[in-house]
Amino acid sequence: MNFTSPIVEEYVAHGRSADCPVINTHAHFGPYKAIYFPMDAPEQVLHTMDACGVRWLIAAAHGALVDTDRGNKEFAEVIARYPDRLKGYWAINPGYPERVVREVAAFEQFEGFVGFKFLSDYYQYPITGPNYAPALEYANEHGLPILLHTWGGSPYDGPDVVEETARRYPNARLLMGHAGYGEWERASQVARDYPNVFLELTAAYRVRGALEIMVRVAGSEKITFGDDHPWFDPRYGIGGVLFAHISDEDRRNILYRNAQRVFGLPV
Amino acid sequence: MEFFDCNCWYGVPMSPPLDPAPTPAEVLAEMDRVGVQRALVRNCAVFEESPEVGNPLTLQAREASDRLVPAWAILPPQTGELGDVATFLAAMKAAGVAALWAYPNAHRYLLNTTTFGALFEELQDRGIPLFLPREEGSGGLMCYAAANEVLRDFPRLTLVVAGHGSWGEDRYFRPLMERFPNFAVDTSCYELDGGIAEICRKYGPHRLLFGTAFPIMRMGGAYLGLLHAEISDDHRAWVAGGNLKRLLEQARL
Ligand SMILES: [Zn+2]
Repeated sequence: MNFTSPIVEEYVAHGRSADCPVINTHAHFGPYKAIYFPMDAPEQVLHTMDACGVRWLIAAAHGALVDTDRGNKEFAEVIARYPDRLKGYWAINPGYPERVVREVAAFEQFEGFVGFKFLSDYYQYPITGPNYAPALEYANEHGLPILLHTWGGSPYDGPDVVEETARRYPNARLLMGHAGYGEWERASQVARDYPNVFLELTAAYRVRGALEIMVRVAGSEKITFGDDHPWFDPRYGIGGVLFAHISDEDRRNILYRNAQRVFGLPV
Repeated sequence: MEFFDCNCWYGVPMSPPLDPAPTPAEVLAEMDRVGVQRALVRNCAVFEESPEVGNPLTLQAREASDRLVPAWAILPPQTGELGDVATFLAAMKAAGVAALWAYPNAHRYLLNTTTFGALFEELQDRGIPLFLPREEGSGGLMCYAAANEVLRDFPRLTLVVAGHGSWGEDRYFRPLMERFPNFAVDTSCYELDGGIAEICRKYGPHRLLFGTAFPIMRMGGAYLGLLHAEISDDHRAWVAGGNLKRLLEQARL
């Protein structure tokens, strides 16, 4: 490397940094149809977290994204085994509207869940649609974070849809998963204009130039780190953040400080 | 340990990348920022325009720096834009080019023995590696079917699928690794947690080549992913640059 950064130097030398840990705000858990995972057992997830200095991992179980009833509860048992390392997103499936009300009510009964997860593109159902409303109203009332899958140009979860949601539910804290992939400038504007909107970096970290746009437009206080673990090795994502043209203060904000604030997690 | 990027381009494509890299200077700047010593590069004219234009343009990279090693693209010998097989191989030798790329989708041809039998026979015998991009230039996931078809007829050919989708592709490419001794993939977008380590464990260190997919992707992610992958330093050195270095040195032009 040809620039000076104590944080980058530490990661290059050791693969982690005690001084600049990571909070992963976008992860998953359990097998999934389209991908083979060599490292998806709980103890393997913890192993990778330790190797890369990931202090907390906040995940939505794949099973819960399919069958919320079964998957959320199964994942609650996993989280309960690692209460000081794992947190959960409680998945909401708008395809079963009668369940959404029930799931929102069940959310409070399980320990370790810090917010909801919406995967609108996959359900082809907009965040602003009525089936999501009970979850959004609850989040708005309780200042709860929601990790939204977002993608540039999507009619279900593109930046315009997120903006409308942010306006309607100003107290819900909305994390734009994948940072509105592709619509970098527009997604960054929404994060800049709405105090309750944040950009989350899964997959976006690797696109050359994207993170610099986010930092310039939205500010590094509005960006959190995530990597769809166990889909992706945190080293790739962390490397993307480290070698971007940003400052060490930006790196700290992105890798842990903002998540610490949004989720109230100690590091 | 040398990091030698096998998958990297510069130039002016029809649609600019988010952060353009029109000249070799941008490649070198990113290499220096991250700590990549050498790169096998092509001017994007090889896939955006035509290898007739792009192959000679790519030689300019070596003039900019001896850290940049040029690679060319192929076309079917039957239409003759790059000459017949003997002429093309002679041109490679004269230019000192020891690695080739195929873009069957962008250049509209079938990557198979009917089209390339005579060339692939030579590449296999001479140990010249052929790179096949996973992205749309080769029809996306269909690149694995094309690779399988080529390798069934030329099982010792060094064929490298470069690039990788966000969704897992191990179920596509691991059977090829198991069956064909010189089949490999690059690491530019192979982000699977534990993927590099498991490939090295199961198939040895010669089936992965460090790549970055620059300038679409940053070099830093693939770099840190390999730098701290849970493999031995010996395996790391092979993947980082040893494999590519050996391929280029051993190719008989
Ligand atoms: Zn995800």
